Amino acid sequence: MILARALAAELRKLLTLPGVWAGIGVTVLGTAVITALNAFSERAAFEAGEPAPSVFKTAYAAMPLGTVGAVVIGVLAIGAEYTANSPDAGGGRQIGTTLTAVPRRLALVAAKAVAVVLLTAATAAVAVPLSITVAQLLGGAATIETVPSEDAVAWWLGAVLYWTLMALIAFGATVLTRNVIVPLVVLTANSTLVSFSLLLTKLTPLAYGLPDMAGRKLFGGVDMVDGGLDAGPGGVVMAAWAAALVTAGGIVFTRRDA
Amino acid sequence: MGAATAELSKLRTLPVAVSAVLGTIGIGAAIGAALARMASADTAIPDTAIALKVVPYVQIGAILLGILPVAHEYEGRQICTTLASVPDRGRVIAAKSIACGTVLAVTLLATIASVLGTVSLIRWTGGGIPAATPQEWERTAGAVLYLVLIGLLAHAATLVLRHLVPALITMLVLVLVLPPVLAGLGEHARWLPDRAGTQLYAPADMVLTPGTGALVLLGWVLVVGAPGAIRFLRADT
Repeated sequence: MILARALAAELRKLLTLPGVWAGIGVTVLGTAVITALNAFSERAAFEAGEPAPSVFKTAYAAMPLGTVGAVVIGVLAIGAEYTANSPDAGGGRQIGTTLTAVPRRLALVAAKAVAVVLLTAATAAVAVPLSITVAQLLGGAATIETVPSEDAVAWWLGAVLYWTLMALIAFGATVLTRNVIVPLVVLTANSTLVSFSLLLTKLTPLAYGLPDMAGRKLFGGVDMVDGGLDAGPGGVVMAAWAAALVTAGGIVFTRRDA
Repeated sequence: MGAATAELSKLRTLPVAVSAVLGTIGIGAAIGAALARMASADTAIPDTAIALKVVPYVQIGAILLGILPVAHEYEGRQICTTLASVPDRGRVIAAKSIACGTVLAVTLLATIASVLGTVSLIRWTGGGIPAATPQEWERTAGAVLYLVLIGLLAHAATLVLRHLVPALITMLVLVLVLPPVLAGLGEHARWLPDRAGTQLYAPADMVLTPGTGALVLLGWVLVVGAPGAIRFLRADT
């Protein structure tokens, strides 16, 4: 019962943070706008005689932006608790109020983690089909679709899973470190080509097991990098990282001063 | 002058700024070491060519250092104290930009130097590796200039956005996430700040030269900085 009420409270808190709405906006609108731009240029290229582009390739090219949105949601879910209010409003931190209202700390971490999962999964579930629809509509006759519909559904679920796990990893890392800069920088950079884990994979194949590298194949046929774990095992490894980080964060959170 | 010294001393006593400076130098050297190890078989390229591959990573440190001088003022109400001691807001902006530019230049010069040192130490075999040509030294200097300009762009963006998290996300998306994602822009992508600035240390563009690339990046700094300055001069703290 306490969990359900804490979850409702955490969801409401998340949805009233401007930064979280920025994250949702980046994920949903950002990917759609980038997809639209790419669809226009691919259509122009097709009319100039290039081979027809795939709707999925066009839509999935914008997906790194969604990872950034997921990271922002995960980091802010706990990071905002530690930000000092304006001194005009007492200069306190929200975490004190939160722990007064929900003194059971494990329940609080669990409620926050579930709120992050629900919000990111819902955002991703909207963003991916929206981008694919945009690519389909704007691509017009230039698009071909060679992906069977069951693969398409699997890729969609893969993207939802990747973003959700990424948000959880960001959340767990921020609970552990109580610092927003490091998780934001590392996880955002790692979702691009200037990725620290991508660099490490060239030194040791073990780096393919790092949280953000493990799940890359969840994005179906759109590979940014060669090698690494397949979608199934990769998803399991990534989920294990997320569970380990949130658990470690929860243990530390119950034992130290807020 | 006094105002700029004050801004420098504020940065010196800000723990996160000190960590950012040391982190940029240290992480830069570590990445340089990793890249040198990867290229250990390739003895045909000079050390500077390997050192320049570190720039995309190091620019994250430059972005952070560009954001901190303004963002930390708004974390509490330090901005009120600052404006009480230096009421002329134009002078505050000038002093902050000078302090920010100085810290950026010193840090990034030290970073590139430490990267070069690490790379040559790891690749040292007693000869066989070609010495850098004057053109390659020019590119190395261009890399420092590029990093300082990216840092100043982050400084300009923070004047507009004021707070650390929005400024950090905006800059990371603008510099790291968008350029590869925006394949659809085709040739227009060269006008993005990082693509234009990259000409300074890895010229490959058909339209922009290192000089004009630097000017385009400087243009971005001014275009973003102008509304930032207006907000700082006119708006409530």
